[in-house]
Amino acid sequence: MRVTVEGLVFRRGRRRVLDIPALEFIDGQTTALVGPNGSGKSTLLRLVAALERPDAGSVFLGDRRAGPAEARESVAFAFQQAVFLSGSVRKNMEMALALRGVRGSERATRIAEAAAACGIEPLLHRDALRLSGGEAQRANLARALSLRAPVTLLDEPLSGLDAPSRRQLLHDLPLLLRRFATTTIVVTHDRDEALRLSDSMAVLIEGTVRASGPRADVYGNPPDIESAAFMGYMILPSEGGFLAIAPRGLRHGPGDHCFEMHVDEVIDLGVRREAWGTVAGVRTSVGLPAEGPAPGRTLVVSASNRALKRFGKGEGRAADVH
Amino acid sequence: MDALWEGLKEAVRLIVSGDAQLREIALRTIFVSGTATLLAMGSGVPAGYALARGRFPGRTVLLGFVNTGMGVPPVVAGLIVWLMLVRSGPFGDLELIYTKQAMIIAQYLISLPLVLGFTAAAVQALPPELPDLLRVLGAGPLRRLWLLSREAQLGILAAIMAGFGSVISEVGASMAVGGNISGDTRVLTTAIVLSTSRGENANAMALGIILLAMAFAVNLVLTVVQQRRRRR
Repeated sequence: MRVTVEGLVFRRGRRRVLDIPALEFIDGQTTALVGPNGSGKSTLLRLVAALERPDAGSVFLGDRRAGPAEARESVAFAFQQAVFLSGSVRKNMEMALALRGVRGSERATRIAEAAAACGIEPLLHRDALRLSGGEAQRANLARALSLRAPVTLLDEPLSGLDAPSRRQLLHDLPLLLRRFATTTIVVTHDRDEALRLSDSMAVLIEGTVRASGPRADVYGNPPDIESAAFMGYMILPSEGGFLAIAPRGLRHGPGDHCFEMHVDEVIDLGVRREAWGTVAGVRTSVGLPAEGPAPGRTLVVSASNRALKRFGKGEGRAADVH
Repeated sequence: MDALWEGLKEAVRLIVSGDAQLREIALRTIFVSGTATLLAMGSGVPAGYALARGRFPGRTVLLGFVNTGMGVPPVVAGLIVWLMLVRSGPFGDLELIYTKQAMIIAQYLISLPLVLGFTAAAVQALPPELPDLLRVLGAGPLRRLWLLSREAQLGILAAIMAGFGSVISEVGASMAVGGNISGDTRVLTTAIVLSTSRGENANAMALGIILLAMAFAVNLVLTVVQQRRRRR
């Protein structure tokens, strides 16, 4: 099911939290909604789920304007904070399916299927309020997926997980989403998560959509400095504007665009070495061959044409660049 | 210590002898305070839920009023009800003054802020995403109220216990609007005051012990329900 946003304005008090003239979440795709904290990502999810009412404009689920009835039919929502009612995980999943009008025999099938896919079968009999962070997130996800809703909303699905659980779920989640959900919107402030999980991306900064489209297009062509900085580009001041170098886009040695790096420290990692220092005052690092002479106080580093973007002074606020 | 001991002996004697007057006063006490608490529960729990979950202008001020109401002395509540129900008052025509109904109204007003305030606090202590989750899943307002009240059961039972405790032990309001009429509006607390004023200390002590035992019995039942839920 396609999700579209038209002329959406949402205010909290006098503050305009969201202002989105148009945005589309393509049917059957996973779209990562990315942006810094407070950019309005979770609020947009709440508007899609009809948990908030827009001050202007609309969200459409398919061809129908999103309201509580439409959300009940079409939306599954895994909140950032995995919340449960008292009782076992199975009881919680049964309750969710019962509220959606799924019959008893069908409920058991769906619970078994979602539990197996999310690896929570051993947790089904456990008290849902006593799960660890990782277990709770998986159970939260399984409950959402068991609804088989045309639209699945995941708000920071990997937050609060320890590193091994996060790695595992980062691997499993795209497979699960492809198997269970048709249209998925994942909110994250972590660009790596966004890149791993999504087909498309929408960058939301200060309540406005700065870029949206296929993942490679958005990541490879950030529209402004703030979007570039959020996606991990290194921003360097240059004559008449700024240069943005893609993450891991800086190489040791000459290339299309050369820079001088002032080396502070060289870390020997056995299989390779890393030189840490500053380029035009911005702290960064480049990989060095494992063998070779120790670098001097300065190094020549470079970025390819593909890895470097130029922005004029008016294409972003330098003060926000980090 | 003698008064306490004599009171205890008198209490046992009154209970064992099946004193008709005592039974009548004890049953009336349970009826008046129990009805007031049930009414406060019926209206205070949904109102507390609405106050906890609602977003409307003046909510904080309203919550402030409720919290203030939790500390209003029963005699003041009784005075207000008396002024409303007395023959020259705005509701004098109802002829409720010095009746059990007047006592129930006064006790209801005493326990309502406690039930409402503690319920609001208990519901607010739930994860804020829980009501949203239930809404997205399709639970209607009554279903949400029921499910969330079950989740906040520990706090809501504490609210009901606080409400009941406040009215079964109060004397000022019952005296003001009930009048302590023998065989009609006399309850244990007003009977204790009367016995004390007559110098019947052992009798007063006995009534006090029976009052405490009754309050303990009711609260024990509620506590068992509350703690059974906690163990689950």
